[in-house]
Amino acid sequence: MNPPLDISLWQLLLGLVFILVAQVTSLVYHLGLNRDISIGTLRTFAQLFLMGYVLSFIFGSDNVWLTLGVFGVMVVSASFIIKGRVREKSVPYILPTVLTMFASYFATAVFVSGVIVGVEPWWEPRYFLPLGGMVIGNSMSALAIAIERLFSELRQQKNMVETRLCLGANYREASQDIFRNAISAGMIPSINAMMGVGLVFIPGMMAGQVLAGADPLQAVRYQIVIMLMLVGSTALTSFVTIRIVRRRCFGKGEELLLGSG
Amino acid sequence: MSSLISLEHLGFSYDSSSAPLFDDVNLEISRGDFLLIRGASGTGKSTLLRLVCRLQPHCRGRILFKGRTVESIPPAELRRQVLYTTQLPAMMDGTVRANLLFPFSFESNREKAVPPDDALRGMLEEFYLHDIPLDHHALNLSVGQQQRVALMRAILQKPEVILFDEPTSALDGESASMVFRIIEHLNRDQQMTVVMVTHSDYRPERITPAIYLLEHRKLRRL
Repeated sequence: MNPPLDISLWQLLLGLVFILVAQVTSLVYHLGLNRDISIGTLRTFAQLFLMGYVLSFIFGSDNVWLTLGVFGVMVVSASFIIKGRVREKSVPYILPTVLTMFASYFATAVFVSGVIVGVEPWWEPRYFLPLGGMVIGNSMSALAIAIERLFSELRQQKNMVETRLCLGANYREASQDIFRNAISAGMIPSINAMMGVGLVFIPGMMAGQVLAGADPLQAVRYQIVIMLMLVGSTALTSFVTIRIVRRRCFGKGEELLLGSG
Repeated sequence: MSSLISLEHLGFSYDSSSAPLFDDVNLEISRGDFLLIRGASGTGKSTLLRLVCRLQPHCRGRILFKGRTVESIPPAELRRQVLYTTQLPAMMDGTVRANLLFPFSFESNREKAVPPDDALRGMLEEFYLHDIPLDHHALNLSVGQQQRVALMRAILQKPEVILFDEPTSALDGESASMVFRIIEHLNRDQQMTVVMVTHSDYRPERITPAIYLLEHRKLRRL
């Protein structure tokens, strides 16, 4: 099997041709995106090189706490991204979200690296961090969609939720449909991804492994495990988080704390 | 006669920094009473009703139902007995029957017997809905008809007190008088305790209500 071909610095800079195309398009059509494209390009270079150095350091250090520390930073960063997307001020949802994300992503990553792939030790950073990163990156989007849906439907359907409460429902019964809709909305993208994978796209990880010289059939096995892992972790995280956040949308008297939308 | 509901020095502000919506409100409601609470928009009439059934947490004072503070009663149990009806009827996507019966699936209502179709049809007649079949889609009804279905749904739960929040604000004159006639019938013939908030000049025909005015942050009897 051939090792991957190295990309020299000059070859890497040649990749900027694509950015040039985007910049020219933005200029010609007055899209006003030139500044964002420049900043995005700089950040791509800086963030990925930084990550490369950090990963090289961690892979060489062989330290479980350092690995878990990086994992924790990834979870906290993901929670900030969710906070930026959801923009809800009246219900404190971030702390339970971070704790649930940490617990469920950790369990998923440990199961996949330690049990399915059989890495020893289970926290071997070369496996644990990329697997954890993929779980966090994908589930984060699902969770943001689910939380956003929960808040927006509770606001839109406030009259119905309160009517149910007044007719003897507890808060769970009053928001049952909304709870289901929120979790489904979060899960649909990862289920759709299972439908299209291999037909309409080659997933990033598999493409990476194949480019790196791995046997495509082994890459496929990894990819299948990843797809299953993403669906499972999305379901687990969405279910637990939405359950906790929904409770926080109701007060001690099970009254809905969100105003109508 | 001991009070069914007592409000003692009740006050409410939206948050600690804002001026109170109302303050030091005292009110005694006995079984079988018919209370009308009037006041201009924004004086806090709806909030007052919502505080009684804990749809909003209150700030100052006490609310007692049958001598117990409302906070000491499990919310679903309180709301089954002190039933608040919203200004606009909330109908779910389904038949009239489904809309009338869905509350019976709630944990707190499970011991109640689900009324058979004959009983429901009889009630539809009493509520001036005799031409509406039980299989009719509820979202296709007019707002006035929906309001009467919502009222019927509330009565089916046999509450002791009904809190009406501007029940006719979205209705035309004819629908409004039907709703008023039903409410009067509930109070006069079924001894249901009624508290109604309104900014209209409505006055029941064959009942002498206790009329209160919420104005300048205070509640006073007229």
